[in-house]
Amino acid sequence: MSGLLEVVNLKKYFETRGGLLHAVDGVSFSVGQGKVLGVVGESGCGKSTLGRVILGIIDATGGQVIFEGEDITGIRGRKRAELQKKMQIIYQDPYSSLNPRMCVFDLIADPLQANHVYHDAKALGKRVLEAMDTVGLARNLAYSYPHELDGGRRQRIGIARALVLDPTFIVCDEPVSALDVSIQAQILNLLQDLQEQRRLTYIFVTHDLSVVKHISDDILVMYMGCMAEKCPADELFENPLHPYTQGLLASIPVPDVDYHREKIRIKGEITSPIEPKPGCRFAPRCAFADEKCQRETPVFREMGEGHFVACHRAGQEVV
Amino acid sequence: MGSVLEISDLCVEFHTQNGVAHAVNHVDLSIGEKRSVGLVGETGAGKTTTALSIMQLIDLRHGKYTSGRIDFRGDDLMKLKDTQLQKIRGKEISMIFQDPMTTLNPVIKVQDQIAESYRIHEKDSPAEALIRAKDMLEMVGIPAGRGEEYPHQFSGGMKQRVVIAMALTCNPQLLLADEPTTALDVTIQSQVLDMINDLKDRLGTSMLLITHDLGIVAETCDEVAIMYAGEIIEAGALRQIFKDFRHPYTDGLFNSIPSLTKKTHRLMPIPGLMPDPKQLPGGCHFHPRCPHAVDECKVAHPEMTEVEKGHLVRCLRCTEVLSR
Repeated sequence: MSGLLEVVNLKKYFETRGGLLHAVDGVSFSVGQGKVLGVVGESGCGKSTLGRVILGIIDATGGQVIFEGEDITGIRGRKRAELQKKMQIIYQDPYSSLNPRMCVFDLIADPLQANHVYHDAKALGKRVLEAMDTVGLARNLAYSYPHELDGGRRQRIGIARALVLDPTFIVCDEPVSALDVSIQAQILNLLQDLQEQRRLTYIFVTHDLSVVKHISDDILVMYMGCMAEKCPADELFENPLHPYTQGLLASIPVPDVDYHREKIRIKGEITSPIEPKPGCRFAPRCAFADEKCQRETPVFREMGEGHFVACHRAGQEVV
Repeated sequence: MGSVLEISDLCVEFHTQNGVAHAVNHVDLSIGEKRSVGLVGETGAGKTTTALSIMQLIDLRHGKYTSGRIDFRGDDLMKLKDTQLQKIRGKEISMIFQDPMTTLNPVIKVQDQIAESYRIHEKDSPAEALIRAKDMLEMVGIPAGRGEEYPHQFSGGMKQRVVIAMALTCNPQLLLADEPTTALDVTIQSQVLDMINDLKDRLGTSMLLITHDLGIVAETCDEVAIMYAGEIIEAGALRQIFKDFRHPYTDGLFNSIPSLTKKTHRLMPIPGLMPDPKQLPGGCHFHPRCPHAVDECKVAHPEMTEVEKGHLVRCLRCTEVLSR
């Protein structure tokens, strides 16, 4: 199976004083052209690191990233610059990801200038204003500075910066989590429209399961750097197989007074990702863990069509 | 049933370089004994300012209470002197702030931070206070031995447990929880919410829960008040608000949340932005964003209308649109 982007056994370990921190540990998947892969997990599960390793912002410790059929792991220099036109990122925090001393026009022109796309100022200006129209920023804001704008407009600048080079692939790293719900819905609709109109491919990283369900075709659940479960979006919510996914779904407060469900609570907190012990990483918090789970790392295996899970007990009995 | 706290006609404004910001406008709110009231709204709606007014913690160098009464057990908190307020803060009314990382003092052991309020409010000896602080830690699910540690040695969820322990030390009658779980992961959030609910029931505390998350409200509150541009625009029992909301803003809030239980292809966000509290639009403050606004909405400021017993709505058209 080959898609636009393929990730094979990707690893990223950080050196810390306490030992090696396994931020991303053996992640493999493939995303087809025009598809959205949602990556969910809690703080520290490696989801943001995964996005950055794919884009080459940080180097992988092991494994491969294959983009349009070509291995791009560790590519540098001119070739990397070419790639960056096709692969972009939208950051989480529209407050800290924009240079406060640049106005909206310059912020959006910046990626074009850095890549020497236009040599003619008029063409550049036209392109920037078009990008502003696309993301719904009024043209009269071109000479405003980020501090004059609210979070939603700032995030629109972030999106315009990612789009202005006409990429085919975008990593959206928690693009709406810093925004209020009514603004969040506006930005989600914008991202969804752009994706559909331009057949963009997204990796949509978030901790918010309702957002990820809304926008994704497939969802990958991560826990402590490892893949826990991956399947089509609806399937994940109807038939979660991994105890972590089940607990995660049960933890979300649902804004419906008639919605009652069994309260599965995940006990304890995330354990240390530094030099993790063998065995299932979720075992210390899992209600179903047995001796095998402590000892052997579970294999990421296919349980149903397109439904993968890394759990020894999944499918054996009703968990 | 008596009410623990009764706010009437509270107005708070802040003087800034660019003008006067009307942060809280004519807020009426009452919290019954052992009840949980959810105060819902987006950034800048005036939720936190309302809570800080109850605690009388508005910075009077910039802020000003322009009107209002806050009745708490027969006293008007607005009229009390600082020394009297100090006896109420942390003892009768306590507050949990949003960010546990900045609430705790980084250079004091957590047990000493909890013990402080026993020493001050209940005049316990240092040794007694320490024993009670350790009990309190156990109650929020932290081994007493960890009281010797400093805040940086705790995870975010654990720190918030410490903050909750501090807030509950003197069995307050009223707990103000300002986005207590916003900084936490969902699995930790559900643990912390369960704990707050459980402790509140055991101690018989009333609670004002400030949040932007309607899901949290559905799971923890008895009553709801929705705030917009410094005003309460809809208030009522949980079921009235969730099943029979009448204000177009409340409708917009529900439509903005992607659903976990239903399939929606496109969200229906509220167009536009929250108005600047320095230049609130005339008439109904929501009219520029409201899909149902008519000419009258631009000029007449709506009063709270009771559409059903206990269910109040601030909308001129509350009996026409969205009425089921």
